Amino acid sequence: MKLQRLDLWLETAPGPLLPQLLAALGEKGEPLRWAITAAEPAADGEPGWRRLRIEAVLLCP
Amino acid sequence: MPVSPLAPLPTLLVIPTGIGCQIGGFAGDGLPAARLLAAASGCLITHPNVMNGAALYWSDPRLHYVEGWALDRFASGALALAPVRQQRLGLLLDAAIEPELRLRHLQVAEACRATLGLAIGPVVTTDEAVGVSLCAGPSGVSWGQLAAPATLLRAAERLRSEGASAIAVVTRFPEDAGSEALQAYRQGGGVDGLAGAEALISHLLGRHLGLPCAHAPALAPLPLDPGLDGRAAAEELGHTFLACVLVGLSRAPDLVELFSADDAAGATTSIATTNANAAPLRAGLLHPSQIGAVVAPAGALGGQAVLSCAERGIPLIAVEGNPCLLAVTAEALGLKALKAASYAEAAGLLLALREGIAVEALSRPLPPLRPL
Repeated sequence: MKLQRLDLWLETAPGPLLPQLLAALGEKGEPLRWAITAAEPAADGEPGWRRLRIEAVLLCP
Repeated sequence: MPVSPLAPLPTLLVIPTGIGCQIGGFAGDGLPAARLLAAASGCLITHPNVMNGAALYWSDPRLHYVEGWALDRFASGALALAPVRQQRLGLLLDAAIEPELRLRHLQVAEACRATLGLAIGPVVTTDEAVGVSLCAGPSGVSWGQLAAPATLLRAAERLRSEGASAIAVVTRFPEDAGSEALQAYRQGGGVDGLAGAEALISHLLGRHLGLPCAHAPALAPLPLDPGLDGRAAAEELGHTFLACVLVGLSRAPDLVELFSADDAAGATTSIATTNANAAPLRAGLLHPSQIGAVVAPAGALGGQAVLSCAERGIPLIAVEGNPCLLAVTAEALGLKALKAASYAEAAGLLLALREGIAVEALSRPLPPLRPL
């Protein structure tokens, strides 16, 4: 078992954020601790779309 | 079941650790705010770094001490909390702690048994050094790394098998007495550089064991600093940071699984009904469907507990008077929030929610009714 740090920018669609974040993190490993550390509107300016920076530590086998 | 206006309004208080919060970002300096919000709500659930003031602590039956991993699971609907009279505390010590520092920690545990009547023991030492290192993320938030996480889990399993119902863990942290970051922290600026690694350790143990867990770092004493900020001063009263952890855990609620982590990840609005596979609910259980509000710094709304609550419509109180490194606001995330200039104002908002007073009726101009 090891802990792996992750720094990820994610573009999210309108609607609840949590399922989108957990799905993105789950593709990389099991998130042990994470947080959104920056949030900005998506580059194309579409309402509700966002770019989020997520810093995390994942649990990897 | 009807709810009395006098009934408590279970409330989560989140002050994320290691992000430089001006209130709660130091040595238990979120505790006055927690005490106030506990009085206003009648039931406050918060995490150890809000409550832990090294040698200083406060015990209040309205305050529930829940480690961050379990707090996230409670907020997401996967866990319930069962208040207890007393936990039996297993003490987990890192093999890297030097003999004299180890003895200091054992004497704190003995003092808490003799002076406070806490149930402590057994004590287990890891079979190798945990190897804690500290680092900062790109945002400046504190993080850490563990060279041997599995040794913690092995030691914690021994404690559980010997009857411990909660785990106090002490690991040797690297000394950085001369660093600019530590000097800034002691003088009331910057970020608590230890906090990120501490949270990893307690999250790891909580996830593995399903028991209440909390961490204290083992460090050599620092030289006297005449410019020490009062918010950091609690950490310089003694030789260890362990007393507050033992007191906090001694009445930390049991963690009662309602459904699996995978189910919790998909949970949105259905937690009011208990999953068919869940254990029968115990009397007096604090169920996540009872959460009435969540309070967090206005710039730090991007954590799991806050998002879980806000996205299922639980009122979110964003405290603007607690600035931090981050600017992850309600507007930036598209969340609805009640704004509070201070924790005193947040307490007023909790009272309004508890009493069933419409918050918009408390300020002027009163927004007009909106015909559909």
